[in-house]
Amino acid sequence: MPAAAESVAVTGELGRRRARRPRSEQALIRGAIAGSEADLEALFRRFWPRAYRTAFLIVHDHAAAEDIAQEAFLAAIRRLDRFDRRRRFGPWLGAIVANRAIDWARVRTARRETSDSATDPASPPEVPLGRYSQEVLAALASLSPEHRAVIVLRYLLEYSPGEIARALELPRGTVNSRLRRGLDTLEIRLKELER
Amino acid sequence: MSAAAKKRLREFRAPNEIGAEDRAWNVVREAYLDRQATVARRPRWRLALVPALAVIVAALVLSPAGASVRRLITHALGQKHAAPALFSLPSPGRILVSGPGGTWTATTDGSTRRLGPWQQASWSPHGLYVAVASGDQLAAVDPHGTIRWALARPSVSDPRWYSPSGYRVAYLSASTLRVVAGDGTGDHLLATRVARVAPAWRPGQAEGPYALAYVTARGRVVVRDAGSGKILWSAAPGTRPQELMWSNDGRRLLVLSPHEAWIYPANGGRPSTLALPRGEAASDGALSPDGRKLALVLGGREVIVAGAGSSTPSMRQVLAGPGVRAISWSPDGRWLLVSWPAANQWVFVRVTGAPRVAAVSRIAQQFSGGGGAARGFPQIEGWCCTAEGSAG
Repeated sequence: MPAAAESVAVTGELGRRRARRPRSEQALIRGAIAGSEADLEALFRRFWPRAYRTAFLIVHDHAAAEDIAQEAFLAAIRRLDRFDRRRRFGPWLGAIVANRAIDWARVRTARRETSDSATDPASPPEVPLGRYSQEVLAALASLSPEHRAVIVLRYLLEYSPGEIARALELPRGTVNSRLRRGLDTLEIRLKELER
Repeated sequence: MSAAAKKRLREFRAPNEIGAEDRAWNVVREAYLDRQATVARRPRWRLALVPALAVIVAALVLSPAGASVRRLITHALGQKHAAPALFSLPSPGRILVSGPGGTWTATTDGSTRRLGPWQQASWSPHGLYVAVASGDQLAAVDPHGTIRWALARPSVSDPRWYSPSGYRVAYLSASTLRVVAGDGTGDHLLATRVARVAPAWRPGQAEGPYALAYVTARGRVVVRDAGSGKILWSAAPGTRPQELMWSNDGRRLLVLSPHEAWIYPANGGRPSTLALPRGEAASDGALSPDGRKLALVLGGREVIVAGAGSSTPSMRQVLAGPGVRAISWSPDGRWLLVSWPAANQWVFVRVTGAPRVAAVSRIAQQFSGGGGAARGFPQIEGWCCTAEGSAG
């Protein structure tokens, strides 16, 4: 968790800044339900980076990833009152993100976009990725979105295969086989890129 | 998978993480506050805090020039006197229209071109492209109708280009406000729970800041930085706005509701309020290109022009006729194009210098796209472009 998020987490109620100890996820959810914007922000800052990275690693489009992660949070806000507080927020959010990202990747072909860019309309330059990230991205690009999602959930969000199966509503065996095949492909591709 | 590969995945950083986080937080925060406001009961005493806007009732002044225009109109608008087709425009530029027959352009020499079966359209700042929307599709087409890019989103409407560069397009999708780069990339959500009122970019520099005005589902006017997602200011005019327009210099925002008009300074300070005469409802309004005049369609039966710089403007009637609907300024600010579905006509009214009117009939047939059979009256989407390059 980033330091900034830690500090936000303890500044929810001014005058009661005790230790700079991160508040628990459950406490933040309780606070957000009760109306504490600071608690909601702490929750958001804690989970945003992984939600955004997860979406990005599946869809490989930063604008779409931003959209997907943002809409996942909006969905979470809408359902906050009904959230089962015994559950962990991260896997719940991660499941929403992963499923939306897979859906987006599947229907991408519905977006008819041409590579032509007009001279009147244009967009600012993309923020370049470092070589390190580029290699990971290039290796992941050789996998299907479904395989990418399984790999990202397992090794970025550190879900167990059982949690992945529940999040993506897949049989456990399918998750294991996708993990195995995905990892094999990824390993080979990364070694090729290192050369 | 090797430990090194797993480590690489964990340490992966996506592009522009901080910027994306801040933008998303602004949207999420707003949705959260909106939810809180819905849950919380609004105390009655807060109603007393609604700013009491000073209502300035401006008398309708029928100037001598206005009276002479009226006389001219009485003689000119019969079917016999209207031109049977659009042979030319009285002022340079190109007019963009959309309707049941699709989207069309009409040029100075009177030639028309169909761009496609789109329901809504908007000029890019220099008139090089047109943003079009229909059903679940948003697209950018060139003046020949060739699609340059397209994307699918639910219930797309009201696309608007950022001026002067065209680097951004804002549009509505269902009840959300979205922004996409001018080349069709980077489409993203900017706000949720938005009213079906066309958003309005504040004209600025080519590279921004990209300030965008829109109306929330609760009728608040919000001006937001589309780059960072931060709300620059917001205001509750009192009655539900139906139209937003920035002056070309970006110094004033006109907010039009059925019975009142407000002109806000760019920083969201105290607005000047204009009460419409005799409680007439305004069905359309347009600021002149220089931002000094405001044209309004009142009660569906007259068009007036008022000074937009004064809190007590004089108003001048420039056209009267049952069933007039919409107006658009010529790029040079000298003419008003008035659509008159009831008469199946367009009427061009000169509002500077000596009064002149020119009417064109059979408008529905000319923009029907179906071999001349009328399929409904088209709406005027804009009259492009001024020497500075902004769409009218």
